[in-house]
Amino acid sequence: MRRRDFLKTAAAGATTVPMWHGRARAQAKALRIGYTLSATGPYAVGAGITQAPNYTLWQEQVNARGGLAVKGEGKRPVEFLTLDDRSEIETAVRFYEKLADDDKVDLMLPPWGSAMNFAIAPVASKHGYPLIGPTAISAKFKELAIPYFYTMLVQPEGQMKAFGAYLKDLKGQGKIGKVAVAYVNDLFGIELNSATGPALKEAGVEVVDTKSYPLGVKDLSPLLKSFKAAGADAFIGLTYPPDNILVTAQAKEVDWNPAVFITAVGTAFPFYRDRFKGAEGVTGIAGWNPKVKFPGAREYYDAHVKKHQKEPDRWASAFAYASLQILERCVGEVGLDRPKIKAMLDATEFQTVAGPIKFVKGENVSTPGMVGQWQKGEFELVWPKSVATGSPVVPKPAWA
Amino acid sequence: MTGALLADIVIGGLTTGGIYALVALGLNLQYGLMRVLNVAHGEFLMLGAYLTFSLHTGWGVPPLLTLLVTTPAAFAAGVALHRLLYARVLAAGDTGGLEARSLLLSFGLLFVLQNGALLIWSADLKGYSYLATPVRLFGTVFPANRMVAAGVALALSLAFYAYLRRSLAGKAVRALMQEPDGARLVGIDVTRLHARCFGAGVAMSAATGSLVSMLFELTPFMGLPYTVTALVVVILGGLGNVLGSLAGALLLGLVETAAVYAAASDIRVIASYAVLSLILILRPSGLFGR
Repeated sequence: MRRRDFLKTAAAGATTVPMWHGRARAQAKALRIGYTLSATGPYAVGAGITQAPNYTLWQEQVNARGGLAVKGEGKRPVEFLTLDDRSEIETAVRFYEKLADDDKVDLMLPPWGSAMNFAIAPVASKHGYPLIGPTAISAKFKELAIPYFYTMLVQPEGQMKAFGAYLKDLKGQGKIGKVAVAYVNDLFGIELNSATGPALKEAGVEVVDTKSYPLGVKDLSPLLKSFKAAGADAFIGLTYPPDNILVTAQAKEVDWNPAVFITAVGTAFPFYRDRFKGAEGVTGIAGWNPKVKFPGAREYYDAHVKKHQKEPDRWASAFAYASLQILERCVGEVGLDRPKIKAMLDATEFQTVAGPIKFVKGENVSTPGMVGQWQKGEFELVWPKSVATGSPVVPKPAWA
Repeated sequence: MTGALLADIVIGGLTTGGIYALVALGLNLQYGLMRVLNVAHGEFLMLGAYLTFSLHTGWGVPPLLTLLVTTPAAFAAGVALHRLLYARVLAAGDTGGLEARSLLLSFGLLFVLQNGALLIWSADLKGYSYLATPVRLFGTVFPANRMVAAGVALALSLAFYAYLRRSLAGKAVRALMQEPDGARLVGIDVTRLHARCFGAGVAMSAATGSLVSMLFELTPFMGLPYTVTALVVVILGGLGNVLGSLAGALLLGLVETAAVYAAASDIRVIASYAVLSLILILRPSGLFGR
């Protein structure tokens, strides 16, 4: 299929472009970008909401502009080489080796999810491909300092400090006093939980109970009942979809409506809002909404809705798109020389739809940890106050 | 132990076990009766769940009423599948390789069904709220939808058990389970009965799916954990033993729930395999196995 497409393009090029117009021929050569995304398996949900739509939106926009501007080469149409890693980490690792060794793609994009990025980052780095991960959150990235890997999202410590400061502020107003924490027993949950203890201690909020649960859990009511019995009035769920849905549904079913109800990954998905009739007052990890004042933010939102008939999520979607804006700027200024792209990533502050982004040792240090809350259909940024688009509604209203 | 905690464990355990019972009963009909190890069992559950989801969200049919559609449709699909695929595969070659052949076939089926569902419904999470209200009992609180789902599942399981005990067809099934050769000798049409039992197994899986769609988000990949649980229950209760499956499912539900309340959610799976190991050591042919 790909080969046939290539032959077609090549044949068309040979017949229509006069030989003496060498520059035009070079322009027609597609720029090949390879990546894997989970189209099947448990990661397919997140990949299909946060990453895939942004990749294809960007590709369409770039090609509509005549291609990606490459320094010294003019514009080249962008061709994606997409593989389904089936949500299997070892498959993804093999595919990234293949993309580098066999396909020799010009650039690579990262897969979805912390564990996936964690596994393939060293592979891409070994081959010298810069990767800007929009859905990777783990303190380990900083420890390992993988040279060609960059993270867009606020990492566990910063994120939990934001929640800590938010809760401290609410405690100061006498709105909450006791926090209960539940976390999913995998890399993401464990890391966030280990950042939670210090963050809440620093904020001076009492933690009455902390419980873990396994991936694929079918019943969280025992846990919620014990939190309710312990008198917790703030809940922090360090959850993944679909358990963020389960824990929300079951909180209502066991008649528990704490003043603050926080769930993590997937809460910023428009699907979550629609699933719970607005999810009024539910709080979660945030990073973006269409009300932010960054250049291009609203246009990005409209283009996303127009192309995919669905809204971008309110956490990492915009960062996925922003990572492509960053890549586009680098290629425009330094070409496809990958060490030069890395040098530019290390040294530049980028302006994106998700705001200014500056990497220090591979970590985006410009974006603050943010707290969002569903209010009348929008995931308002309610903390920190410097970026807020709305003010917190605490206690949250009764479940719809 | 307080009364409320006891109620949490017993009622919570029975609601979990009730769901297990129906899905395990379906697998037991196939594995216990025909030695067809149908690893695509959970995929029929997934299809039943999606069908109910589509009927409920698309046409506003109450989820419980969709059982009247999903169950017969699944039964017909099961009979057809058996005639078209399983009967041929099972008829070919000796009975020794039967389990292996059915395993391969159903693995293929699993991929076809999962990817079919992926094409139709996509990988996005799908779900709806139904009876998401608290029910107060014995000083504690339970989700109404879980109690209804488990109640219906248990009722269907018991009705099927009664059918097997009372009806002539049920007698034939039991005869086939106990003495396959003898059953043929007395003139039981084995091929036809096999097809119907396979269909009934698929129908029970799909019915369970219709019920759990009220509780969980759906994905095309939701089925496999149910197949594994069903297998654990079938082995726990004894191959081909219907009453054993019922008792095994309820026992498993109770043990898992007790473990969660006594220790933590992470212990649930460990507890269920611990029970399985213990039973296999003490009674290698299962609780009610002969």
